[in-house]
Amino acid sequence: MKHNVIVINQLITVNNLLFSTHLLTLFLLNMNLHKLSSRLCPTVTQKFRHLHIQSSGQQLEAVAVETASAEPNPLSVFRTSEQDPAYHSERQSGQYYTFPPAHIQKLFPHGLPPRFQLQIKTFNEGCVMVRPPALELISYLKRADYSKPPLRYVLYGDTGTGKTLSLCHALHYCYTQGWLIVHIPDAHLWVKNCKELLPSSSRPSRFDQPIQASQWLKNFKITNEHFLSKIKTTQRYVWTKRESTEMGQPLGELVDQGVNRMKSSSDVVGAVLRELRLQAGGITEGEGAFKLAVAVDGVNALWGKTSLKKEDRTLCEPEELTLIHNLRKMMKNNWSGGAILTALSQTGSLFTPQSAYLPNELLGEEGFDHMEPFVPVSVSNYDEKEFESCYLYYLDRNWLQHPHSRSEEGKKELIFLSNKNPSILERLCAFL
Amino acid sequence: MAASVRHLLKPWTPSLCLVRWSRYNPYYLDPDPSKDACVPESEISPEQKELQELKTVRPIKAALSSDTSSSFNDPLISKFINMMMQDGNKILARGIMTQTLESIKRKQVEKYHKSPAAKKEEIECNPYTIFHLGLENCKPIIGLASVQKGGKSYQVPVPLTDNRRRFLAMKWMITECRDNKHRRTHMYEKLSQELLAAFANEGNVVKRKHDLHKMAEANRAYAHYRWW
Repeated sequence: MKHNVIVINQLITVNNLLFSTHLLTLFLLNMNLHKLSSRLCPTVTQKFRHLHIQSSGQQLEAVAVETASAEPNPLSVFRTSEQDPAYHSERQSGQYYTFPPAHIQKLFPHGLPPRFQLQIKTFNEGCVMVRPPALELISYLKRADYSKPPLRYVLYGDTGTGKTLSLCHALHYCYTQGWLIVHIPDAHLWVKNCKELLPSSSRPSRFDQPIQASQWLKNFKITNEHFLSKIKTTQRYVWTKRESTEMGQPLGELVDQGVNRMKSSSDVVGAVLRELRLQAGGITEGEGAFKLAVAVDGVNALWGKTSLKKEDRTLCEPEELTLIHNLRKMMKNNWSGGAILTALSQTGSLFTPQSAYLPNELLGEEGFDHMEPFVPVSVSNYDEKEFESCYLYYLDRNWLQHPHSRSEEGKKELIFLSNKNPSILERLCAFL
Repeated sequence: MAASVRHLLKPWTPSLCLVRWSRYNPYYLDPDPSKDACVPESEISPEQKELQELKTVRPIKAALSSDTSSSFNDPLISKFINMMMQDGNKILARGIMTQTLESIKRKQVEKYHKSPAAKKEEIECNPYTIFHLGLENCKPIIGLASVQKGGKSYQVPVPLTDNRRRFLAMKWMITECRDNKHRRTHMYEKLSQELLAAFANEGNVVKRKHDLHKMAEANRAYAHYRWW
């Protein structure tokens, strides 16, 4: 080619008649084309071969397209793209949806069970299964009339069936709808293992728990930051000779008072709850309107026994603790503009038999009378579809590592050993 | 025929009394709890056929209560649990083992999910393979035995049996975690850290193995004192 080009150049530089050079170049190009075509001949057959391969390749592509459309299906079996709990319905039942990380930090600074928090840390995402009890609860919340006194919902079921996480799911729905969240993650923690039990500063026969109260107020502040400046106090609260909160101050100041001054933090909790109760149903429309969601896990602690002792070594009644007393007042339905979501729990409860799980057994007579009437929501073990979904989720997150657990027989063994109980399955898969 | 079998099954005492010995007559075979897949007749080698026939005829020892027929049963892990057990508290030892496996898996899976796609293949997430390979890395190849010659005792380099090597690796792992770590950490935490280090050929147990190898290398001259 180069040789031919040099020849052409020489011809041009000679300055012969243009058309002759033109002819020559054309002739040379033709020659080159001929050579190219001769070179092309084997490639023509190659092209044919390529075409043949392409035709089969097209078939392959067609097959690949089919599998590509089939592949997302296993993913969509256990995950749903609907991240807003307001739009969850029976169609997403058994599928996992992800908590946005920002919401986890704000809404659940203390609310999630410790093993679930570990799972979030390990998998780098917080996924919760959409299950019928939570869907039921959310549908009731959607249809309730908030000008009437609040409905009390009690989630009950055997240990490890998913009461706490269903409560968290419903709470996420409330948060996305802009409600004010009052979440006590475990009422049992307030009736046992208290290091400092101070006699109350305001009333003689009561006992304060400063550490628990101030911890709870800190978490309350994180969850409901945007409400704290809007709600104003309706009464003057006197804490000590020199400290008091005037009427009309924002709620944020009250909360700060409790966080900074540990001594009066339990009374501050009571004041905060009272303010919220009074103002929840007050303004129905407009700027200051808000709906109140009171979520208590382990409600049976409020009416059970404590393991705390007074100074004369007699057992403390739950009634004598300020925090419990104020919570009980909250559980009454003499206010309006919100909902009370509760879950029973035998795991942390004191002096209750391990087999007890029904509301009657766990709440006791006093508790049942106080809570009645309530809407019971039963939570049970996984069914076939939910178990399948959980199994696929663990496979996807690379959690089931033992080769036998990935086989059919291993799956049957897991079903047998766990009886499809969510928490037992989780603990089993942890070391497999 | 019956008389000869009766002679074999009589209550038996060994001719040489050892400290820890099984009271079973050596005629008894070991139990094999695993569910063997039914292999068709043609594929079994003649030795295996003999073994199978033996199993149908000979008496078999009773199985331990810690053996399961499921494929999750791992003899190495059972042995490790037995070695960790104190005062017969098998439940506690097994709990520690499961917590160890869980914490190893958590650390590795966390690393897996946080690493970019290119590096995901290199991270080993299976706690069982980490346990097995980590223990392999701790097994010494050559050991030392004390031999008395001419009034003086010498440390003589000596080959070790498989059982002895496995025992030494596990023993070192457990003593290292019990003694040389911070008092307030849980056993499962200490074990998981040490196993992950052994898997990467680092850590105190692997160092101890290397020290033993160096000692054996140093005492190479006395190798001829071994007569077995």
